[in-house]
Amino acid sequence: MVSLSLRRLSLIYLRVSSLTFGGGDPTMAALQSELVTRHGWLSREKYGLVYGLARITPGTNILAFCAGTAWELKGWPGAILAVLGATVPAAAAVVLLTVGYEAFKQNARAMAAIAGTLAAAVGMMTVSAWQLVRPDLRRERILRALVLVAGSVLLSYVFRMSPIWILGMAALAGFFWRAPVPE
Amino acid sequence: MNVALLYLLLLKATSTSFSGLTSPVLRHDLVERHRVLTDRQLNAAVAAGRTAPGPNGLYVVSVGYFVAGVPGACAGCLAAMTPAFAIIVLLRYLGRRAERPAVRSAIQSVTLAAAGLVINATIPLARDAITGPLPIAIGVASFLFLAFTRYATVWVIVGAALAGLAGGFAGLIQP
Repeated sequence: MVSLSLRRLSLIYLRVSSLTFGGGDPTMAALQSELVTRHGWLSREKYGLVYGLARITPGTNILAFCAGTAWELKGWPGAILAVLGATVPAAAAVVLLTVGYEAFKQNARAMAAIAGTLAAAVGMMTVSAWQLVRPDLRRERILRALVLVAGSVLLSYVFRMSPIWILGMAALAGFFWRAPVPE
Repeated sequence: MNVALLYLLLLKATSTSFSGLTSPVLRHDLVERHRVLTDRQLNAAVAAGRTAPGPNGLYVVSVGYFVAGVPGACAGCLAAMTPAFAIIVLLRYLGRRAERPAVRSAIQSVTLAAAGLVINATIPLARDAITGPLPIAIGVASFLFLAFTRYATVWVIVGAALAGLAGGFAGLIQP
């Protein structure tokens, strides 16, 4: 495992946030890939906890997610640097776009490059969901995993229920329906 | 408008919005009450926030810029960042209880429900982004790359942007 310095951590947030288009979900998927899967700095459970809490934190979920994951890894200095890294370059891009939005929208090359990254974001988010579910795809846990994942999709996609309610209901379900421990 | 007041109004807007949605509080304060922003500017700000990389919630930076130029944009940036740190209070509280079996099981369930929410967020994005054979190939390639290799995510993003650019020249991708 590669050791984690504050500089390295903030560069990850800066890089991912500056290059990922499509809002918070693709950015969280990219950070999951870096922090959980690639480097193993954050456990899947911690990721799930921060993801859930970021949803109920007021404001921009992804910034709360950055603060929470970096705080878990490097305390307050990590949280502050992660939020700055995720915000400042993207905010500069927002100002530039505000100044020249119409001109930018007419630039076919820039829009084609963004279309490419959005297509990649679909792949990134699918991997993100797969990696969250995969450890539970064992015989003794699969039913519980399928019920929770399918229930979450159903409630959000079909019934348009708020993510906050869905995560709250999942927490309550998990409180009473515990995963069987393998023998 | 005074930048400190602008920061407080933007902070009020960001602190009362959840899931990155545009805050009705912001429109009420800046468009209707103080009349320092127009609906057209608010729409342009939301569009800029959604087009730029990173969080969509950074449209408040654009709002700040419309109201007070670069100092206003800085106030917007600060207002977007400030509420994020509230999560640390929640993590400190839950972190001490995370080893209890019932809490652990609840966290595992939230993780699985989060996967469902990620799937749900992928569906509209896929509808917009997967518009032909090249975007399908880029999506599948990025999935395989991230699922089965240890390369940094940034290479996937850069590769996808270059493929999109090449596809744009060849007419294989709709911007």
